[in-house]
Amino acid sequence: MDVVERYEAPETLQEAIELLASGDALVFAGGTDVMPQIRTGSRQLRPILINISRITDLRGISRDGTRLRIGALTTVTDILESALLKETAPVLVAAADRFASGQVRNAATVGGNLGNASPAADLAIPLLLLDAEVELFSRKRRVVPLTDFFLGPGRSVLEPGEILTHVQFEVPRNDFTARFVKFGGGTRPAMDISVVSVGVAGVVAGRALSRVRVALGAAAPTPLRATKTEAFLEGKGLDRETIAAAAAMAETEASPISDVRGSAWYRRELIRTLTRRVLADVV
Amino acid sequence: MSFEKEIHFVLNGSPRTVAVPVTMSALDMIRDRLKMTGTKSGCEEGECGACTILVDGVSVNACLSFAVECDGRSVVTIEGIRAAEGLSPLQKLFVEEWAVQCGFCTPGMVMQGTYLLSHNPDMSVADIKRGIEGNLCRCTGYKKVIDAIASALDQTRSRS
Amino acid sequence: MTVIEKTTWIGKPVPKLDAPKKVTGEARYVQDIELPGMLHGKILRSSRVHARIVRLDTSAAEKLEGVHAVITAADTPGVPLGHGKDNPPLKGDKVRSLRDEIAAVAAETEEIAEEALRLIEVEYEDLPAVFDPSAALLDDAPILHEEHPDNIPFAYDYEQGDVARGEADSDVVLENTFTLHFVTHCCMGVSGAVAEFDAEGNLTVHSQTQMPFLYKKEIAPVIGVPPEKIRVLQPTIGGGFGSKLDIYPFEPICIFLARETGRPVKLVFTREEEFVASPTRQPVELTLRSGVKKDGTLTFREVRTIHDNGAYTSWGATTPFVIMQTISSLYRVPHCSYRTTVVYTNNPYSGSFRGFGNLQATFAVESHMDRLAEAVEMDPLGFRLKNAQKPGETTPQGMVFRTCGLGECLETAAEKSGFVAKHARYAKGQDGPVKRGVGIASLLHVGGGAKIYRSDGCGTMLKMDDYGHVTVLTGASEIGQGSETVIAQFVAEELGLPISSIRVVNDDSEITPWDVGVHASRTTFIAGNSAQRAARKARKKLLEAAATKLGLDASELDLREANVTRADTGEVLVGLARLILSLHFADKSDVVMTTEYYEPPSVAQDKAFKGDVSASYAFGTQVVELEVDTETGVIRILRVTAAHDVGRVINLFGIQGQIEGGVAMGMGYALTEHLLVEDGVVQNPCFRDYKIVTAPEIPELDMHFIETEDPEGPSGAKGVGEAPSICIAAAIVNALYNATGTRFYSLPLTPERVLRGLKNGA
Repeated sequence: MDVVERYEAPETLQEAIELLASGDALVFAGGTDVMPQIRTGSRQLRPILINISRITDLRGISRDGTRLRIGALTTVTDILESALLKETAPVLVAAADRFASGQVRNAATVGGNLGNASPAADLAIPLLLLDAEVELFSRKRRVVPLTDFFLGPGRSVLEPGEILTHVQFEVPRNDFTARFVKFGGGTRPAMDISVVSVGVAGVVAGRALSRVRVALGAAAPTPLRATKTEAFLEGKGLDRETIAAAAAMAETEASPISDVRGSAWYRRELIRTLTRRVLADVV
Repeated sequence: MSFEKEIHFVLNGSPRTVAVPVTMSALDMIRDRLKMTGTKSGCEEGECGACTILVDGVSVNACLSFAVECDGRSVVTIEGIRAAEGLSPLQKLFVEEWAVQCGFCTPGMVMQGTYLLSHNPDMSVADIKRGIEGNLCRCTGYKKVIDAIASALDQTRSRS
Repeated sequence: MTVIEKTTWIGKPVPKLDAPKKVTGEARYVQDIELPGMLHGKILRSSRVHARIVRLDTSAAEKLEGVHAVITAADTPGVPLGHGKDNPPLKGDKVRSLRDEIAAVAAETEEIAEEALRLIEVEYEDLPAVFDPSAALLDDAPILHEEHPDNIPFAYDYEQGDVARGEADSDVVLENTFTLHFVTHCCMGVSGAVAEFDAEGNLTVHSQTQMPFLYKKEIAPVIGVPPEKIRVLQPTIGGGFGSKLDIYPFEPICIFLARETGRPVKLVFTREEEFVASPTRQPVELTLRSGVKKDGTLTFREVRTIHDNGAYTSWGATTPFVIMQTISSLYRVPHCSYRTTVVYTNNPYSGSFRGFGNLQATFAVESHMDRLAEAVEMDPLGFRLKNAQKPGETTPQGMVFRTCGLGECLETAAEKSGFVAKHARYAKGQDGPVKRGVGIASLLHVGGGAKIYRSDGCGTMLKMDDYGHVTVLTGASEIGQGSETVIAQFVAEELGLPISSIRVVNDDSEITPWDVGVHASRTTFIAGNSAQRAARKARKKLLEAAATKLGLDASELDLREANVTRADTGEVLVGLARLILSLHFADKSDVVMTTEYYEPPSVAQDKAFKGDVSASYAFGTQVVELEVDTETGVIRILRVTAAHDVGRVINLFGIQGQIEGGVAMGMGYALTEHLLVEDGVVQNPCFRDYKIVTAPEIPELDMHFIETEDPEGPSGAKGVGEAPSICIAAAIVNALYNATGTRFYSLPLTPERVLRGLKNGA
C-alpha cells in the first residue's frame, strides 16, 4: 500500500512552507535519522514526503553583528570545520567532533539533530550552554529558546506544518568559557550514543564562575538545563567542596533511566564524576 | 513501497537515469535497481560504513541516504574508483599491504579512505583512525588499513 | 624436516591473491549472487521463547501476489540437524527459543517475502521457560527435549593423575567461579545461501560454509538428497571465525524453498537477524580449584563447568574438548579433573567461535596463575616460567610438544614490554584516579589440526599447463584468512615460479579434493603440507625430465624464476615452459599432474580423552599494559606485546594480520562486547548497542614471532589463526588487578561493570 502520494524537493523555504501547509507531510534532510526510522517503523510515512536538502539558503553559518546564525541544514561536518565557530563557540565544534562517524557527520544536520529531539542529542547540550534559540517557520515565524523547545523523548514544540530554519545565539563574550564532555560508555571517541553528556559554561573571573550554565544529556527525558545547580554555582569560587556539592546537586536534578547502554545508577555516578571534572577543568 | 520518481544523475562519471521509489535508500537503488554489488549492505543502520559512497565528493552511508536525493548530483561508488591504469594508488596499497582479509568492509574502507585523502591531505595517523571510525572491520584489527591510507598520504605528499 | 634457508616466497610478505578483486568491489559474496529466475527467501521466527504451536495458518501468505512458496515443518522430512541431531530446520510442534524457524517464504522480492511473513498467522500455547542452566537442572524444570528429560544432552568427565593426591601435596589451594558471557561473531558479511536444483534433481548450493565436504554429508539426510548429488560452491566469504562450521536451519530451509518452487532461491539474513539467529560463543560458568606447592610447583586443577547449551545443540556443546586441553596442559600440572554438564535452556545456542572454548578456559587458568603466584610470593613471570613445559615433553593428556616455544614466548613478551619492573612498580599503588597496570597471560592451542573426525586430512591436485602456469586444486577453503595465498607461496617456492603463475582453486566441491574444513587453525599446516608435497612431486618429475634431456643428474639442477638452472651456479639451462612442452609433445607424451592427500600424524583421543590429537601445538604470550579510570570504570589498552610460537613465518603480512585481528577480537571479548540476553531475548541486536572494537581504539601492538621450526609443519610452520584472540582477556584482567588490587571473575569488563566491581571489591 502506497502511503506516500506526493514527493517534492523544494528549493526555497517558501515552497516548503506551502507544501507543509497543504497536508500531512514528513520532512527529511540528511536522512540519518528519518531513513532508519521509516525502515523500522518508528516513524510513520505520510502522504506527502518533502526533501528539504535543496533549500540552500538554510545551510550556512554566519555572523550578523553579535548574533551567530546557523541554518538548519548546516551539516555536523560544516560545524566541525567552521573557522568562525572555532573562534566564537568552540564548545559547539567540540560536540560536533564527538558526533557519530565521518559519514554521518557529512549528512546529519543541526536542524535534524534538534528536531529529532533525543535526550542524548549531541548538539543540544552546547547549544543550551550558549543560550541558543531556534527559529521556527510555518505561516508565521516564531523564535523559541532552546530550553523551551524539547518536550520529551522524540517530542518538541514543533507543530505540524512547522519547520526549524535556524539556530542562533549571541556571540559569547571573550571571557566566556565552555566545556562539553560526552561519555559513550567506552573508548570510542564519537560512535557511541551518549550514556551521559555534560556541559558547563560561564564567565570565569579568578576562580569563580558567573552566568553559569550547566546542561546534561541522556540524563532526563529531554536535554536538561540543571538550573538549581546553576543557581548554586552562580558567583561562587570553585573550590573542591563547591565543585563536589555542585556535582551532587546536578545529579539530583537528573532523572536518568536504565537501558541497554547503562543503568540509572551508573548514569548518576557519571553525572557526578563528569560534572566535577568539567568544573575543575573550567577554572 | 511507494510511487516512483525518475531521477537523473552522474554515476561514476557517466549520466544515468533511474526510476526509484521515493522512499528507497541510495543503497537499495545501487544494489537492487542498478545491480551494482560492490557497495555492501552491512547493517542498514549507518553503523558499519560498508555502504559508503561519495555524493558530490562527500562520503555518506548509502543506507541512510534517500535515493531521490541523488538527483542532479554526482555519485561515485567503489566501481568508479579505478584509475586510468587500473587500481587507484590507494587500492594498490590496500593490496600490497594486506589491508584486506575477507574484504567485505573493503569497498567502504576504500571509499572513506579516498574521501579522507582528498578532503584532508594534512591528516595525521590519529586523524586517519578517527576518519575510519565509522567503518567496522572484524578481520584486520584496522592496523593495515590505517597503514595503507597513511602510505597513500605519503605518496601524495612526496608527489606534490 | 625441511627448512628452506634462503627462500623466494616463504617468509615474505606476498600480497594476498584475492585482494585485487576485493578492493574493486568485484568479489562476489553470497549477498551479491544473482541467478536467472531467482527468488528471495525469508524465515518466520518464533515470537515466544518456549511454546507449543497450536495453529499455523499460511493461507493468506500463499495468496499474496509474488509469493511462490510458503513452507512449514509439514512440508519437510523433519530430519534434525546438528551435533546433537536435535534441531529440525523447521519446527512443527514446539518452539524452544526466539530464533526458532517455523515457516519460510520464497517470493519475487525481499519486500514481498517480508510482507508474506507478516500474513502468516501463528497461535502459541506458552510453556514455562528456563534461562539459567542451574535452574534447568532442577527436578521441576521445564523439559525442552523429550529425549532428555533431565535437560542434559551431554556430560564429560576427564581425569589425569589423582586430584586428591595433588590436593594433599599442595600448600595453597584456591577456588573461584568464572562467568563467561554471550558474544557473537559479527562477520561483516551476514549469513545466507543460494540454492538451485537442476532438472535431474542435482542440487547446487552457494554456501559460506567453512566445511564444504562435511556439509554435503551432513545436510544430505536433512534435505533428502544423496550427497553425491550435492555440489557446494563457495562465493567469496565475508568472514567466518567458526560461525560457518556447522549447518544451521536456514541452509536446508533455503534448499527446501528451491525444491518447492523449482527456482533458485537466495536467503540472506538481515543484520538484526544475524544478531538474533546466528550462533554465539559458548557462555560458560567455570569453577576452578587450583593447587600449588610453596616452591611454586603446580599440583592440581579441578574444574567443574556448566554450559548453557541453549535450545538446540551445535558446536558450542563440544567446547569442553578444547577447554579440557587448556586445563590439563597449559603449564605443567600432574593432576587434573574436569567435569562438564551441558544443559538445555531457552536461550540462544552456541556454535564454534575462534578459540573454541579456549578464551573461556584461559581466562580462568591464567587468572589463577597470577593468584597462585601471589600466594607463594613469586612474580607472575617467574612463576609461569617455572611451570612452563619444554620441547619434548608429553602432557598427561597425551599431547606431545615436539616443539614448544612457551618459555621463549614468556621471556620475549616480558622483556619487550618491561613487564617485571612495571608490574612491581604499579603494584605499589599510584596517585590519582587513573591507574596503570600490566598483565601477562599465555595460551596453548592446537597448531596442526585436531583429529576430532576420522580424517583430519586435505587433498591437493596440481597441474601445469604448457605455459608453465600452475593450477592448484585444494580442498581447503579461503574464508579471508589468506590460506589461498599461503598455498600459492608453498607451490611457487617448490617450482621456482612467480606467484602470478599460480592459480588456486578452492571453491567447488565438485572438482576439489576432500578437506575436513577450516577450523582448529589447521589450514596453513595441513593444506600447506598437502600443497607443498604435491608441488614437490611435480618438482621431482620436472627435474628428472630435465636431467634426462640435459644428460645431467637431477641433483645438479634447480628450478628458479621459471627456468631450469644449475643448482650451484644458477646458470639457466632451459626455460620451464619449454621443458614442459618438450615433455608434452615427446614420443612418450606426458603432462605434469600430481596429487597428494596429507593426513597429519595425529591420533584421535581415546575414550578417556587422551591422545596426541594435533600434529603440532601453538603457544603464545601476551602482555597488556592498560590504564583504568577508577571513577568511570573505563579501561584503555595502551600497548599489547605479543610473542607467538608460529613454527615458521610463511607470510609476514598474513600472520601479522591474524595477530592484529585476533587481538582486536579478543579485546572486544574482554572489554566491549556483550550480547545481552534476558529471558531468552537478545536486547541489543544491532551494531549501535553491540560494540565491536573500532579503529580509534586499537592499542599499540608489538609482535614477535618465535620460530621453533616444527618438524611436521610445512617449512616448519604451525597454525596460528585462533591463537591471538585466546589469552588477551586473561592478560587484561591480570593487568586490571595490577592497577587496582581488585580481581574480576567475569567478563566483559565494561566501564559500568568495572566501576561496580571496584566499589564492591569485586
